This record gives sequence, structure tokens and C-alpha cells, in this order.
Amino acid sequence: MSVFAMDWYLIALLIFIGFYCMLASRSIVRQLIGLEIVSKGAMLTVISAGALTANIVFAQALLITMIVIEVVVVAAGLALLVKNFRVHGTADIWKLDGLKG
Amino acid sequence: MIYHNLLFVLAIVFAMWAVMARRLLTSAVMLALLSVCVSLIFFNLGAPWAGVFELSVCAGLITVLFIGAVSLIRHEDEAHPENRARFYALPLAAAIFAIAGWYYLPPFFEELAAWRRMASGSPAIGLALWDLRRPDLLGQILMLAAGVFVIKSVFPRRTEK
Repeated sequence: MSVFAMDWYLIALLIFIGFYCMLASRSIVRQLIGLEIVSKGAMLTVISAGALTANIVFAQALLITMIVIEVVVVAAGLALLVKNFRVHGTADIWKLDGLKG
Repeated sequence: MIYHNLLFVLAIVFAMWAVMARRLLTSAVMLALLSVCVSLIFFNLGAPWAGVFELSVCAGLITVLFIGAVSLIRHEDEAHPENRARFYALPLAAAIFAIAGWYYLPPFFEELAAWRRMASGSPAIGLALWDLRRPDLLGQILMLAAGVFVIKSVFPRRTEK
């Protein structure tokens, strides 16, 4: 098996773990942790594909953009969590619709 | 090669630990260790800039954000814990996925790798980042401004009496 196929097989396992976390939990923090794991897998695929095609410079430039977007998504999600916790006293994702204006 | 695969296996172990940990604080710390593993993989694949960003932003900033949020809701989470049975089933589910995927995924990825088209010489990182992808930088600044705006609108200043 080539290095690329082995890398992507392990990345697929990592992404499976992230999706399982997002499916199994109702806590907003664990949803965000699952999202983080999936996005780590996505970043690894970008860099691995860049290394495969000898194009790692553009892959890095793309990845820096991905990291910035990831930080903003996590900050917005955690802000929603704190707001939901102040309003309802819980971190349950089913109570998020109580925030509607 | 062994070091490379070992880093991937460590990343998977830390990810499983982050999902299965009973305390949310442990989950946040394991997520940081996962980020460290991913950044070491980036260094190993020859992407030092991405590795530095991953190490400073994902392992540093996001962990601080997570720990801050978790410390706010920790009492509630410990008073009413979630049903843990589904998390304890994760190693079984991951093992089933790994065994089933071993027969189907690598041949597919080999085929995917056969379609590749090699790049014809890549520029220096400074040229790629500051000259060729300059609109990206504007997009990143706008994205950060959008994040600040989201937090501002989620926590408005109270004006009603």
C-alpha cells in the first residue's frame, strides 16, 4: 500500500470518530469537539494531497485560511453555548431553539 | 515511515480519548494534544508554515477558548452528566469501521492517487501567500471581522430598564 493510501485510510478513521462524537452527543461542547476533529481530518487531507502532487505551497496557503475560518466558527459556537447557558442553564443542543427572537 | 504512521495513530488515540473522556476539561486538553500531533504531521510532510499556524492557533487559542467555556458550564455538566453508554461503544464502532474500510478504502485511494496531476514547479511560500493569494488575506480579515460581529450580536449591551 502506498503512503498516500495509508494516510488517507487513517484520516478516514479520524473523521469517523469526529462524526460519531457529533452524532452521539447532545452537548454543544461535544458537538464542537467533534467538529474540531473532523476539521483536523480535512486539514490533513489538504496537506497530504498537496504533498502528493508536489504542490504543498498552495496547500499551506489554503490551510492558513482554513485555520482562520475554524477559529471563527469555534468562537461563534462557544458564544452561542455561553448565551444558551445563561438563558436556560443548560448546554443541551435541543434547547437552542429557545434563543429565537 | 514508522514515525509518520505513529503520529497518525497517536492522533487517532487522542481523538478517541477526547470523545470518550468523562470530564469536558480532559476533552479540551486531549483536543490540544491532537492538534500538536497534527502539527507534527504537517512538519513531517514538509509544511512548516501550516504546522506553526496549527500549533499556535489550534493548540493554543482554541484550547484557551474551550477551557474558558468549559469552566463556565462545568458544574451543570457534572450535576447532570450525559448517558455515557454511546461513548463507550465508540472503540467498537471505530474497530468495525476500520476493519470494513481496510478492504474498500485503500484501493479507492490508490485509484484516486493515480489521477493526480503534478504541479509544474511551486513558488516560494512568501510569493504564494502575499502575492498570488492576496485576496485570501482580505477574506481572512473579513472573516475575523465577521467573528467579532457574531460575538457582539450574541451578547448585546442591555438597554432596557
